[in-house]
Amino acid sequence: MKAYIKKIESIGHQDSFQKENCWSSLQILGADTQIIAPDFKEYIPAASLRRFSPVLRIAITAALACKNENAFDAISVGTALGCLKDTEKFLQTFIQSESDTLSPTAFIQSTHNTIAGAISMALGNHAYNMTHTQNSLSFETALIDGLMCVQEGKTNVLVGAADEAIPFLDLLKPALIQSELPLTSGATFMVLSDEKTGKGIIDCSVEFNATNTSKSIEEFLTKNGIEPTQIALTLFAGECPTTIGEKQINYEQYTGLYYSSSAFAVHLANDYNIERGTYTLIVNHQIHNKLGLTLVG
Amino acid sequence: MDIFVTGYGAISCIGLNVQEHFDSLLNEKSGIKKGLHPHSERFLVGEIPLTNQQLIDRFQLKANGSRTGLLACIAAKEAFNGQTEHPELKTGIISGTSVGGMDISEIEYRSFLKEQTHDLSKYKEHLSGNAAEEIANELGIDGFLNTISTACSSAANAIMMGARMMLQGQLDRVVVGGTDALSEFTINGFRSLMIFDENWCRPFDESRKGLNLGEGAGFIVLENSKSLAITKSTPLAKLKGWSNASDAYHQTASSPEGYGATLSITEALKVAKLNPSEIDYINAHGTATPNNDLSESQAIKKVFGDIIPAFSSTKAFTGHTLAASGGIEAVFGILAIQHGYVFANLNHRNVIEETKLMPVTKTMKVDKVRNVLSNSFGFGGNNSTIILGEV
Amino acid sequence: MSDLKETLKSQIIEQLSLEDITPADIQNDAPLFDESGLGLDSIDALEFIVLLETNYGIKISDPSRGKEIFHSIDTLAAFIENNK
Repeated sequence: MKAYIKKIESIGHQDSFQKENCWSSLQILGADTQIIAPDFKEYIPAASLRRFSPVLRIAITAALACKNENAFDAISVGTALGCLKDTEKFLQTFIQSESDTLSPTAFIQSTHNTIAGAISMALGNHAYNMTHTQNSLSFETALIDGLMCVQEGKTNVLVGAADEAIPFLDLLKPALIQSELPLTSGATFMVLSDEKTGKGIIDCSVEFNATNTSKSIEEFLTKNGIEPTQIALTLFAGECPTTIGEKQINYEQYTGLYYSSSAFAVHLANDYNIERGTYTLIVNHQIHNKLGLTLVG
Repeated sequence: MDIFVTGYGAISCIGLNVQEHFDSLLNEKSGIKKGLHPHSERFLVGEIPLTNQQLIDRFQLKANGSRTGLLACIAAKEAFNGQTEHPELKTGIISGTSVGGMDISEIEYRSFLKEQTHDLSKYKEHLSGNAAEEIANELGIDGFLNTISTACSSAANAIMMGARMMLQGQLDRVVVGGTDALSEFTINGFRSLMIFDENWCRPFDESRKGLNLGEGAGFIVLENSKSLAITKSTPLAKLKGWSNASDAYHQTASSPEGYGATLSITEALKVAKLNPSEIDYINAHGTATPNNDLSESQAIKKVFGDIIPAFSSTKAFTGHTLAASGGIEAVFGILAIQHGYVFANLNHRNVIEETKLMPVTKTMKVDKVRNVLSNSFGFGGNNSTIILGEV
Repeated sequence: MSDLKETLKSQIIEQLSLEDITPADIQNDAPLFDESGLGLDSIDALEFIVLLETNYGIKISDPSRGKEIFHSIDTLAAFIENNK
């Protein structure tokens, strides 16, 4: 299945928002990295903005920056941990409150689909609206849904992913993941259509018991009629399980650690200068045995 | 392409399996009672009266973490009914949840806040996608997995995505539905919204005050003809229609005129290629909140006009099981078709003044139930409808 | 009473996270839930209920009374005075 990327925007720890090419200002992240945020007020009215947590701000802004003259006919969002800040806030509210009357705002915004829902509200959009949360492959499953929408004849499909870090996650880090990379936040949104413009997403697949990742990758390429030698760039997270790719880059050094960071890898792939007939392979191997493969070209 | 439903499984406060659910529906026996735990004992809730360990032991589960995952495994196992992995079949699992492993995280986080100690490894249970993985492990399936989290419409959306993947040839067979355990988080959350009824809820009643929370899981198995030829399953029903639309009105409330709901009902009928007159029973979302039941009534009136089919909300039986509701209610829809019944909208006294729609107030046998329409509407204006029909 | 009104304005700004608004921006008789006032919505109405209980010990169990009580700073202050 294939769809073209009409537009793509990211807000995270790179200065990538509304840049011609996100590679031009890429920096390897340090431990004290911060989100590089635009002025959200330019995109979100104050009445809504006042309530929005960081993940909502960056996701909604990136999504709104993708809009075009047509209404989106489907919206598909991936997020593994959802709105963590509001989740933690509501936990604190009911655990620590002495009163029986509890502040509702954090609860309302704690559901995973707050992101997708807020995007539809900001745009007055009534189309299909889905939120996928399959842990480290949340973006990939959202993307698969988006690609299906294009196959079904939808022509202006918004697909994206976002996750946020909160200080509490740093406490949990040692138990959850072995990595020197900093825990970060990020949002990437893209418009998929059948209009032949620029690069496209040729295929995306997910595997949950990937015991032979090299084989999985070879089969993925074969299925799409691509020779390994046609892969100009492999962008990977976790351990790189393949030798395929003229160049191999660990995209997490640019995104930092968050579950749906492979969405930014699509942005990197979209902006990467490659010759006709060559492709970028994205290998999301953040979590052992869970494999997400995306082919961009 | 025909999409056959060949298995169903459910667990909630009115039954540990589908047969017990049917018995409760026939006997009009609600499971909503005062809760059994410190965080639920003050309220009327639809709580399953078994501890996690009792669930694990009784159903011989491999999973032993979050209650949400346990409930999912129980219902999915019942639905899959001994089917197995097959090399010629592309099999998947799509689950829905809003609570995920919060039932565990909230205990650890409380301990962290109050006593500065917590078991870090327990937070791994928090991830929403875990239940789908646990089902896969329980059923011995190695295939596509996904988890949808759109609040109360999650299971219906999981069913819809399964169907679409089958139509596109990506899957031959898929286990779809949803699950949510009761948690302190959601009990307090709905209380903070002041849409929580301290008394037994009254769906579609003029005096309704809010919902009663429940917990549970409901899953169905969908197969295409190729899968059917191999598994030799007996179809129970067909999945004929589905749809999802956005209300885009408010973060938690539905538009008073039921705009998003009207869209999802209309579109599902179009997908099913059915006229409104061919729907014999509507299992409504019917949470008993002032807002939902009015909004949904308006949508039903708009689509069905003067001839409203038999309809009811079954949430006065089970409570609102959040992400599981679309799955459990799909099971009810299949039972309605199989046995020719419509199920009671319990605790109803007076129609809503503004719309005057009268639900079915007693469970009763009818001539035939050809097609059932089931609504599930979630926070963020996420409106979903599925249509099931006879084989 | 005017001290109460000024205090209420600060409390509302904090409870509702009204960034960029100062007490001086809120007129005593402005309809809070109207665009001409602060353009607040039903979620804010629930937050008002929390504010009333937390800061003034007044419990409102029927959320539908909110719009009438919270109409403006004037009506809110009067309600608090009458229910102390």
